[in-house]
Amino acid sequence: MKKANRTDGRQNALPFWQWARGLRGQQMLVTITFLLVPLLLFFIFTCLPFLKMVQFSFFDMRYIGSRTFVGLDNYKSVFTRSDILSSLKLALYYLGASVIQLGLALLFASVLSFKTRLGSFFKGTLFFPYLVCGIAMGFIFKFFFTHGFVLDTVLTAIGVPHGILPMWLLNTNINNFSLAGSSIWRYTGQNMVLFIGAIMSVDPNLYEAAEIDGANGVNKFFHVILPSIKTIVVLNIILSVSGSISAFEPPYVITGGSFGTATYFVLMDQIAHLDQKVGLASAMAIVLLGIIIVVTVIQRLVFRLFLDEDEKGMTFRERRRSTRRIAVTASSKGGK
Amino acid sequence: MQLKRAISVLLASAMIVAMTACSAGGGSSVETGSKSSTANLPAFDSLHLGTDYKNIKANLKFLTHKTDLVNTTFKDYVQQFQKLYPNINITYEGITDYEKEMSNRITTKDWGDICMVPAFITNKADLPTYFIPLGDQKTLANTYNYTNMWMYQGKTYGIASNGNIQGMVYNKKVYQNAGIMTLPKTPDEFLTDLQKIKDFSGGKVVPMYTNFAAQWTMTAWDAYIGINATGSPDYMNITLPHEKNPFSKKKDMTGPYAVYYTLYEATKRHLIEADPTTTDWEGSKPMMNKGQIGTMALGSWAISQVQTAGSNSADIGYMPFPITVNGKQYATVAGDYNYGINVTSSNDNKIAAMLYVKWLVEKSGFAASNGLISTVKDDPLPTILQESFKNVTLLEDTPAKAGEEALYGNINTDSELSLNSNYTHVAKIVEAAEGASESLDGIMDDWNKKWTAAQQKYGALK
Repeated sequence: MKKANRTDGRQNALPFWQWARGLRGQQMLVTITFLLVPLLLFFIFTCLPFLKMVQFSFFDMRYIGSRTFVGLDNYKSVFTRSDILSSLKLALYYLGASVIQLGLALLFASVLSFKTRLGSFFKGTLFFPYLVCGIAMGFIFKFFFTHGFVLDTVLTAIGVPHGILPMWLLNTNINNFSLAGSSIWRYTGQNMVLFIGAIMSVDPNLYEAAEIDGANGVNKFFHVILPSIKTIVVLNIILSVSGSISAFEPPYVITGGSFGTATYFVLMDQIAHLDQKVGLASAMAIVLLGIIIVVTVIQRLVFRLFLDEDEKGMTFRERRRSTRRIAVTASSKGGK
Repeated sequence: MQLKRAISVLLASAMIVAMTACSAGGGSSVETGSKSSTANLPAFDSLHLGTDYKNIKANLKFLTHKTDLVNTTFKDYVQQFQKLYPNINITYEGITDYEKEMSNRITTKDWGDICMVPAFITNKADLPTYFIPLGDQKTLANTYNYTNMWMYQGKTYGIASNGNIQGMVYNKKVYQNAGIMTLPKTPDEFLTDLQKIKDFSGGKVVPMYTNFAAQWTMTAWDAYIGINATGSPDYMNITLPHEKNPFSKKKDMTGPYAVYYTLYEATKRHLIEADPTTTDWEGSKPMMNKGQIGTMALGSWAISQVQTAGSNSADIGYMPFPITVNGKQYATVAGDYNYGINVTSSNDNKIAAMLYVKWLVEKSGFAASNGLISTVKDDPLPTILQESFKNVTLLEDTPAKAGEEALYGNINTDSELSLNSNYTHVAKIVEAAEGASESLDGIMDDWNKKWTAAQQKYGALK
């Protein structure tokens, strides 16, 4: 009886060992073993803190002391507090800046992708600001905008009377423009490099063909370059939009959020660390995540509907229109 | 193959352990620490330095906000202390953004042995969770000042590194040159004097420098609203939590309104620096020393820093905040950051930490060499304070009544004013005055509303 049982057990275990020794089994085991460490790190340092934050957002709590469960109260105050809502509006300044920034980057990229005198020098110079860390950039611009410092000196040197120079960071009509301007300086180079990379991958035969057809530089840009780098343009737009909603470094370092420059992130930092309302700040973070996801999805949809071409060179909308036309002609034929 | 399986099992179990450890760490931060471990510790005031626990061995870690002294003064202190206790070793760690970083680190329990009790602990009932009691407040008060700062249920959980008076740093020469012979005693006298300074110097001297951009400096204004502005030692912890609309204007121009009025009007009349957004704290000290700044709102700890920032140390003076209550002037005197000892350290480390803290307070000469008020009762006031505060009554804030220890802190943070810890509400006054965007009364109404809402939440209004 005993003996029979043992053989049974061995026979049951056999398929697994066979599978494990075989090619597929080996592949699976190796994959799992290699993935385990990165997944573990991902779970501990990304998922766990995020889940904790979601949990915190339902509590009225400080860093220390007792916590009370408050349900959706924190979310309610995110959507009802005027200071939080108005801080979201500041994203518009950065959004406006990112339009200028993308335009500039595209312009520089399409010029610098071709042989230009001192091309590498200009590429390097334009990209350099991106290598400066955000905090250092903040200090650079703090001194740049200080009354009577760099910017004012330059402006007086070119003949602007000193009396009419505004306080760049104090005047609430212009200080957000000053800050958004500093982010143009920082990110144009990064966008440009992405664009240059995309433009480089365009088949040079296309330029030649366009030239033979008599296209000038502007034609080439709109009919050859732009359609070929669409994906990168959209990627850059998505990055800039989510970047403008979550703008943090310029206002945090340069003005500390004073004089109406506190963006959503700066306000969140103040609520979390100075007022110690951890629950509310967590809820703000999650709402921001939601906003960014929604904006990105909308962008993707718009892209799919109007820009994304299939192998026949038709967008989704054009395709639908043409299928409808076919259907209409087919039905009219049937009626005959 | 078996090896691989063993590895995967090991990793899986490691993951589970890590997970449970994480969640356990998160959960236990709410619970109170063990209280039995503090039972067999000696009392702080009855320790004898140099004779008790002569052979105790310990490695201590000390977290401090004084990053500038970690490699200089504090190293000296450790060396001197080790002459008495050669087997106690102390490692200092300076933290730049002290409050922010400590708010995370303190929850881990093994942050070290000694730290400066962080100001964000607003509920004194939390003290036993993190720090050991140093003794009964009543006994400690015979020898030391400021023992009720971190008192909970009759026990004291921290001992102040030094004391501070709340007043204003000013440049005597600037005031004399402008023809100001007697120091101002009311907000309006003060504003007139600032105007005199501005006019006399032709706008070259900043009458009052706000240090707006440094942010933390702005909380000095909150420190005046208690005893300085009301003359009542009960104001901050007993009156304010229950007072209806505390920020409203009072007829005799005392109380919180008068303090913020001074800042608002000085800004509005352009008696502060031209561009507050780009002020520089380190640069302001030599400027004041040279006589380019008239006044700065800072605690008495700043005196020696301004004095040593240049060659004119004799020009620097310290004056009471210009508010007079019934013909008399008052000033808050309070402990600076307190030394606190970790409740989760080993017993030997706790005793060693007590010895070092006692040595710091009594023997190091930290207060005297920096022109600060000593924590030890019998030590004299620094000379600079003896002259200008002759006719000023110095008072300490009374602690909250039993059962209401947490009330002020709860209302304070819940209203998001966070007096004395968050600068943003004070900054708002400068912003409003500078852009003429909002009246002072409007801001004060807003604060009253926030304060009232928090009072109602915690049932403080009757």
